[in-house]
Amino acid sequence: MIQLDHAGMALPGFALEDINFTVEDGEFFALMGPTGSGKSLLLEGIMGLMPFSSGRLVFEGKDINRVPVERRRFALVYQDFALFPHLDVTGNILYGTVRGRVPGKEIPGRFDMLVETLGLERVLDRRPHNLSGGEKQRVALARSLILNPKVLLLDEPLSALDPLYLDGTRRLLKSLHGKLGITMVMVSHNFQDVVFLAQSGGIVRNGRMVQQGKISTLFDSPVSRFAADFVGMKNICRFSRDVDRICPEGTGAGILPATPPAPGHTRMGIRPEEILPDTSGAMENRFRAVIETIADHGGMVQVILLAEGMAFEALWPTPWIRDRKLAPGSQVDIAFPKRAVHTF
Amino acid sequence: MPGMDNMGRLFLVLSLPLVLLLTLPLIQMTTQPTLAMLVETLRDKDVMAAILRSVGLALAAGLLAFAMGTPTAYLLARRDVPGKKVIEGIIDLPIMIPHPVVGIAILSVAGRNHPLGRWLGEMGIQIMGTKTGIVTVLLFVGLPFYVNTVKAGMEQVPRRLENASRTLGAGGLETFCRVTLPLTWRHMVLGVVMCTARAISEFGAVVIVAYHPMTAPVMIYERFTAFGLKYSQPVAVWLILISFALFIVLRMLSRTVPQYYR
Repeated sequence: MIQLDHAGMALPGFALEDINFTVEDGEFFALMGPTGSGKSLLLEGIMGLMPFSSGRLVFEGKDINRVPVERRRFALVYQDFALFPHLDVTGNILYGTVRGRVPGKEIPGRFDMLVETLGLERVLDRRPHNLSGGEKQRVALARSLILNPKVLLLDEPLSALDPLYLDGTRRLLKSLHGKLGITMVMVSHNFQDVVFLAQSGGIVRNGRMVQQGKISTLFDSPVSRFAADFVGMKNICRFSRDVDRICPEGTGAGILPATPPAPGHTRMGIRPEEILPDTSGAMENRFRAVIETIADHGGMVQVILLAEGMAFEALWPTPWIRDRKLAPGSQVDIAFPKRAVHTF
Repeated sequence: MPGMDNMGRLFLVLSLPLVLLLTLPLIQMTTQPTLAMLVETLRDKDVMAAILRSVGLALAAGLLAFAMGTPTAYLLARRDVPGKKVIEGIIDLPIMIPHPVVGIAILSVAGRNHPLGRWLGEMGIQIMGTKTGIVTVLLFVGLPFYVNTVKAGMEQVPRRLENASRTLGAGGLETFCRVTLPLTWRHMVLGVVMCTARAISEFGAVVIVAYHPMTAPVMIYERFTAFGLKYSQPVAVWLILISFALFIVLRMLSRTVPQYYR
């Protein structure tokens, strides 16, 4: 188990402050946040490349904050993979196996297993500059995993990849986690990757953790406007209360939430994929809307709909739009369930 | 001129005086001695000994710069040492100060009036009038060229590669030997070339510390003052030709080392 206890780090012009979270053994934990929020620095703090200047980093019951990087038995896969350009793929993978870091008898077996699992058989004698992005990623993973690390840290592992390799690498990471049962901590600014891979995580903003918990909780119950934006929540606005309904500010709409908003909640949000064309009439919130704009995102269409003075953003499959011959100006009945209405 | 725009042509014309300044005196000097004079000079054992001594001692200084300057270059490239700017200034000092002053300064600590000089004497190490003294001054004047070249090379190695090495269990020294050194090898060869080049041409500091054993620049000076221009030129030509051949070989050697960052 990794535990950060009031960890902080002060650098010129930036600071990590009061970071607290726990990663259970074997868990896939995601650190999320926009560029410059401090999540990669946090990862370097866990790795020990930049030790925390305050607080504790506890691993297996001991504070390891001052333990040198090379003795932690953690591994870090960089966003740009940081492969050694003067070594071929075999040399890169075996780099850390010298001086008994891995029992000599285990090395050939682990090497063969990783080369086969990661599909590197045909590139073993190539130098990094002759590899594709996906191959570099897999070499970097093999180089770390051959050392049988207790924790694998991944710094934006998918952001430098071609879209062509993205899906395959995502699935590969998930299967590696399942197969090896290793604790993984990943930094990402993409919530889709996080939802696919991680079990729990935290959202970092300006060096502070603004929310953490199970991924499903982060997804469904953001605690702030920032967290809501980050997890892809749309249709965010302030509201006023009206008996059992909430009324988005400046509109005539009355929306039924699943539960009354908690005291102090002032904003609401609805995920765009929850707002659907009303076909059954069974959902609690129904509106007659006019399509204002349609923007094709390749497979999915972002639709802006006006209903009772409120602009709803919905995300619909492209064939729906095509089959129903919908266009800007078309009238359409829309609906969403009351469980889709989140307040914070 | 085909393939060149007006600005290129203008700058070519403006560069011509510089090119002439560099080449004209050298062409004049190298073409004045007759072939017979050159052959005769080559047969002079003293001349060949002085030229080979110059090249050999300059190479020794270059190799010492590699051994002593590499840790300094790493420190300046990778660590925030206190007074880093002052250290960088001290490294550059030999480029700025007159070279006879370098010789005088070295003699002032290597003589019997200084504790270091006395200690060196007790250890049987002589500076004044010895090859050791010549190598010392050649190292002094050539070291900035080595350190600055290698420091620039080390700064080009992404810090991430060194960090990646540490995350894979390698300590600082192991990382230096297995990552930094192989990636800056080309710069080290270039640094040795530049240091050696500077050392071969050194006259001012050498003549103070060791008139004998005579190096080629000292011999050229001696022949010029004693016999005139005509007798010094063939020695100078041979020094230039042999040095030129040596640097071509060293440059070719540095090209065989792969360059990873362009």
